[in-house]
Amino acid sequence: MQSTIHFPKLRFGNKYIDIFPYWISFLVLGFLFGLVGAFIVLRDGLQVTGLSNRVPWGLWISIDLSSISLGGSAFAFGVIVYLLRLKRFEIVGKLAVLLGFLGYSTAGMVLLFDLGQPLRFWHPIVYWQAHSLLWEITMCVILYLTVLVAELIPIIVELPFFESHPWHEKYPIVKTIVDFAKMVAHWLHKAGPVLAIIGLSLSLLHQASLGATYSVLYGRGVWFNQSAPTQFVFSAMSGGTALLFFLSTFVFRVMRPGLVKDDVLYDVARIAGGLTLLLTYLRVWDWAVTNYYSFDRNISLQTQALNAIAPYSMGFWLGQALLPVIAGSLLISAKSVKNFRYLMAASVIPVFAAILTRWNYNFAGLIAHSTYDPYTPVIRLNSYTPTWVEFAVATLVISYWLLTFSVAARYLPFQSKHEEH
Amino acid sequence: MSENIKEQPDPEKNTTSRRDFLKLAGALAGAAGLAQIALSTMTASASSGGEEGKGPKWGMLIDINLCIGCQYCTFSCEAVNNLADDMRYCVVTTETTQSGKEFFLSRPCMHCDEAPCVHVCPVKATYKRPDGIVAMDYDLCIGCRYCQVACPYDARVFNWKEPIERSPQSPDFGLQEVPNRPRGVVEKCTFCSHRIDPGLKRGLIPGIDPQATPACVVACPTHARLFGDLSDPESSISVALAESKTTLRLREELSTEPRVYYIPPQTANRFQGS
Repeated sequence: MQSTIHFPKLRFGNKYIDIFPYWISFLVLGFLFGLVGAFIVLRDGLQVTGLSNRVPWGLWISIDLSSISLGGSAFAFGVIVYLLRLKRFEIVGKLAVLLGFLGYSTAGMVLLFDLGQPLRFWHPIVYWQAHSLLWEITMCVILYLTVLVAELIPIIVELPFFESHPWHEKYPIVKTIVDFAKMVAHWLHKAGPVLAIIGLSLSLLHQASLGATYSVLYGRGVWFNQSAPTQFVFSAMSGGTALLFFLSTFVFRVMRPGLVKDDVLYDVARIAGGLTLLLTYLRVWDWAVTNYYSFDRNISLQTQALNAIAPYSMGFWLGQALLPVIAGSLLISAKSVKNFRYLMAASVIPVFAAILTRWNYNFAGLIAHSTYDPYTPVIRLNSYTPTWVEFAVATLVISYWLLTFSVAARYLPFQSKHEEH
Repeated sequence: MSENIKEQPDPEKNTTSRRDFLKLAGALAGAAGLAQIALSTMTASASSGGEEGKGPKWGMLIDINLCIGCQYCTFSCEAVNNLADDMRYCVVTTETTQSGKEFFLSRPCMHCDEAPCVHVCPVKATYKRPDGIVAMDYDLCIGCRYCQVACPYDARVFNWKEPIERSPQSPDFGLQEVPNRPRGVVEKCTFCSHRIDPGLKRGLIPGIDPQATPACVVACPTHARLFGDLSDPESSISVALAESKTTLRLREELSTEPRVYYIPPQTANRFQGS
């Protein structure tokens, strides 16, 4: 039984126009524009970016961190569906797997452009440096992306194309491939719990390590922070689950009404809300520890310098404390609120907060940097402005994310035919 | 009938959980295996530091009181390593003491014993040689620039562009002595290991014989720089270190244990003493 899919339509006079083809064309245009930037970067190297020896990491790394954090619902729901066996989350869990895959593949893609030597992307797999957090992250991301593909294949094989299609008879090779894919999907589906455990370990490991990537850099003041790994894990879970709620409401409630009960969506919102409140609690304690209980002159000077050029502290209190508390409280009481517009609006804030955390981490230590002179070290402010090529590559990966998501939201069968087993 | 249906799920459930248990056990065994491999590489990489080995441990001593800020060290380094002006390994800056007196600070790579760049490199492209030099394998570097972000001394430069034909400081301050590095890798000061290694084979003493001594040390017109073996108490650098009342290392609070020592400006000494 396939539920009917409703597509968003715009009304012009008395005509209803399906916006899907226009939306896809728009994204394809963005993708093509991005390809131009990608070509220029690969041909001319990183000199076409606004990066410098003072600020060697910029827009792309921030996008990489953000997209990984927004894939954070995949491991949480892998556990909920496969280990806790909460069947009612199964359909939402499929969307979580898709979001995880998109987050990680986007990150991998943008990182490729950020390497000075893109053709050596495979070096970490062969030349191990187990002390390096970046090595661990690379390995975890590669392995976890494999796990996500393994979790995604059984969902893709549910497409009607794999059931029957004229091509199966016309081209025997297609039939062979389809049969093979079905067999693989069958085994992968059975291996679900194992994949969930591996996925959980891998993603916990590297979400934490992404925080540690910055927090071990003791020369950079504001970055040196022992709770960063924990914060990265919880902020990925909070932001990822909030995004999952936002998109599930769209994919299931708007496009496929009746497929997922509203109660399940409320529960997703409540999980997101709970995680957001927990994260905010941790963040405020972290603020207290770094600013109140253990005064560090360097960190204080850096914060001052950053406050001089941007509303840095206000950004924290507003974006990381106040708004998440409001959004978290609203989401956690989803069953009383029962208004999907309010809930969707609220779920944007944890997503925004997760991204803000990543951007803050990436830029704070690079923009405000302590000098090394022995007697009168000062905080030097570095500047960085991304070039159009950087924005083009950013458009490329964001278009890829939206394009794949849009196509999947329309065509992917979230409803399994093998519900019974 | 209804009883039958009720009973049915139980054995089903048992088999599932047994199967799950086996899967879990398999996964754990796999994870344990992975951990084993990881541990063995970690111990291997820890011992490859070569810290225990005997032999020379190179270090540098810069007397800030003798430095006149002429930048010959920077220029000769540029010429020998074929660097553009925006790719300097060694940088001379004007700094001040707490009392406001100006002095020149010449900063090569510190060749730290606990080098943050070595710890963070994901592919072992940056490594610590047994003689204490923090060296790079430019064929391994993937250009991720984590080392650049990690270095507290801004001692690393990235090849944003293609290598230049000839350094603006060449031939006035010397000729290119090392091969060019490709675009897209990070590079750094090598303590002129390309002079030290062949020099030792020829029986020369780095720090004494100019052919085996880093270019910046040779070029310094006021002999503000001393280079030599820190493990040899007779070497000129060890003697000078023992004789000087106070020495200084940059950002010592970070415990990077730099191998470059400074004799602080006397004005600063007076300030600290008073």
